[in-house]
Amino acid sequence: MLELVKFTPAELTILLLSLKVAIFCVLVISIPAIATAWLLARKSFYGKSLLDSLVHLPMVLPPVVPGFILLVLLGRQGWIGKYLYEYFGISLAFTWVGAVVASAVMAFPLLVRAARQGIAQVDRQLEIAAQTLGAHPLRVFFTITLPLALPGIITGLILAFSRSLGEFGATITFVGNIEGETRTLPLAIYTYTQVPDGDIPALRLVILSLLLALGALMLSEKLERKANRHIEHQDD
Amino acid sequence: MIKQLAVLVSLCVSAWMPMRVAYADDSIKVFAAASLTNVISQIAKQYEQENTANQTEIRTSFAASSALAKQIEKGAPADIFISADTQWMQYLQNKKLIQANTQVNLLGNQLVLIAPTGKRFKVNMEKGFDIAAAFSGKLCTGDPASVPVGIYAKQSLTALTWWSSLEPKLVGTQDVRSALVLVERGECDAGIVYETDANISDKVEIVAKFPESSHEPIVYPLGLVVGASSNAVGFYRYLSSPQAHAVFTKYGFTVLAK
Repeated sequence: MLELVKFTPAELTILLLSLKVAIFCVLVISIPAIATAWLLARKSFYGKSLLDSLVHLPMVLPPVVPGFILLVLLGRQGWIGKYLYEYFGISLAFTWVGAVVASAVMAFPLLVRAARQGIAQVDRQLEIAAQTLGAHPLRVFFTITLPLALPGIITGLILAFSRSLGEFGATITFVGNIEGETRTLPLAIYTYTQVPDGDIPALRLVILSLLLALGALMLSEKLERKANRHIEHQDD
Repeated sequence: MIKQLAVLVSLCVSAWMPMRVAYADDSIKVFAAASLTNVISQIAKQYEQENTANQTEIRTSFAASSALAKQIEKGAPADIFISADTQWMQYLQNKKLIQANTQVNLLGNQLVLIAPTGKRFKVNMEKGFDIAAAFSGKLCTGDPASVPVGIYAKQSLTALTWWSSLEPKLVGTQDVRSALVLVERGECDAGIVYETDANISDKVEIVAKFPESSHEPIVYPLGLVVGASSNAVGFYRYLSSPQAHAVFTKYGFTVLAK
């Protein structure tokens, strides 16, 4: 029983790699996703429903599909990857950067959805009022919209973080399963289940994943409540 | 109320029916090493065609021998197991999962070093050759910890004293075909696979062959799994027949059994 909590250095490496990939994933997508969410919530334009559908695609496709598309685009012989490699020597396969790209694609729609909901329920009258008082649209966004949409955005960020931690199909298809570089928690668990005598390490990692997920959910709950309280007490 | 009940019952029955079929089916289930994908698929088709009277159906599952051994150990319904090394067959023998006296050393193979077509590099298969400088990028092969081709590769690389310089460049895949695909795509600049795998693909070329003395003999043992269906014996015997031998030889395998 005790061996279920004795984590080996290799397993701690896997955990740190997963956290690294997830944190960078959230950093990379936060601004584009919030911007897209604002666009979808506040503006109407030609091609809006196409954009909406494209954004949601990774969420409804089996994860290996975006993984394969990334391979076709960014693999060494890919349409874009070919030039990246020839002129810059950049190759994403087998690297944690590639794992971040795969996670970012899969987590993007989740953040957009949550942020969009958060922004959409901000009272437009407040934004209009601010503008009539002379505030520049960007100032309106940062002082009115963003703070009020914060609970939704926080939920989105934590969802994106968790999605990245759990990302498997796109990662293994695009960047492979390389120890130390792309072997995040889900890939490691899978690898251990394919090897005889790998069940105990797999179970250890499963417990770790459960703890992480639980922690993320509880944190999201706490932050959301805090943000909501802050909004409610604005007038005090 | 009756209507809902009727719908519920018919749903349950229709869900149960496929399960009944699954348990009652008498197809022959062959679990074979990934490198045997093409050759066993062909032999299976041949066997099915020669036995259309009994409507024999052969279902194959190809993966790394280590993964297959693990699955059989956990109760996967395999009738026949063909491993790419004796280690994983022995593993199941030790667990008493292979029928007594059914193990036959069926095939041999050759370990080769490959590169994407058009990207071959110069190499001398001798100790002391600076292999790490011969190519840039990664070397793909099966995971040296468990996948047979990776295990043979590590043995050869160690015998040639190349292991320590190549280990940082090594990418361990879950089976030999994944390694092959990565070299085909150019993601890996070199790979170690079986000669039979290199022959299947026109996107890779053989750079060199590893001397047989540098690794344990490559042996593919065949065995009948305990609890195999009775019609599996027919296919098990067929694998040692001249017709099967002809197909194995065509794909480049060495036939060991008489």
